[in-house]
Amino acid sequence: MNSLRQKIIKNQTALGDSDAIAVLAREAGLPFQPPIGKVDPITEWLSLMEVVQVLCPAWPVRTQSMHGKEWRL
Amino acid sequence: MPNLSEQIREALSMFALTGTKPALIGGLAVVAHQVVRATQDVDFLLEAEAADAVHDALLRLGYQCIYRSEDAANYVRDTEGLDLLYAHRPLARHLLAQATERDTPMGRVRVVSVEGLIGFKLQGYVNDATRVRDLDDIRALVRVHRASLDLHQLREYFALFNQQELLNELFAPKDN
Repeated sequence: MNSLRQKIIKNQTALGDSDAIAVLAREAGLPFQPPIGKVDPITEWLSLMEVVQVLCPAWPVRTQSMHGKEWRL
Repeated sequence: MPNLSEQIREALSMFALTGTKPALIGGLAVVAHQVVRATQDVDFLLEAEAADAVHDALLRLGYQCIYRSEDAANYVRDTEGLDLLYAHRPLARHLLAQATERDTPMGRVRVVSVEGLIGFKLQGYVNDATRVRDLDDIRALVRVHRASLDLHQLREYFALFNQQELLNELFAPKDN
């Protein structure tokens, strides 16, 4: 988790925020938009999923197949 | 929880071995388009002609196929899932051809355009209105990319699913 902490600190710097708690509280429950062009969103997602893995080790597995009849694309 | 980056890396390698050039759609494509949220969805759009080869390759990797039609397929392996949409209509084929390459920590991957992704999310939502996540993703993508979205293309997708009112709502001026 050290690397995760470093990433969080680095990202806070990138976002121009100095208060670690404020970042987490501000984004609670909402999709996060990194500043376009400044932060790689896939890297952000991997960091996020590290946290999710700690908080929720057993992620619900899909039990339903895709269904529906409106396949038009 | 599975190691998602390893799973994606393995899938990309499998696609390369089968000579397939898929594109990311679904939750991870939403992330690639700047809306970062927790997701384990590993969804790819690929040419319909590659369906059999990819199916065989996934079974060799230990996946089980829980559903497969001419439009889509779902695979699972323990706690890992992988979903495929098959491009066999002109619109999907065009979106697949126009997908752009990204370098990611898992390797080089193609991602469908924001407009195309919104179209696929809309298709998912129309097929199953309980999938409010799809609607949330559409709203978030519009919010982030509002200024640069190709409205002509979006109108085509929303008309295809008789959802023009939803499009109007998404682009309605805010009161505050």
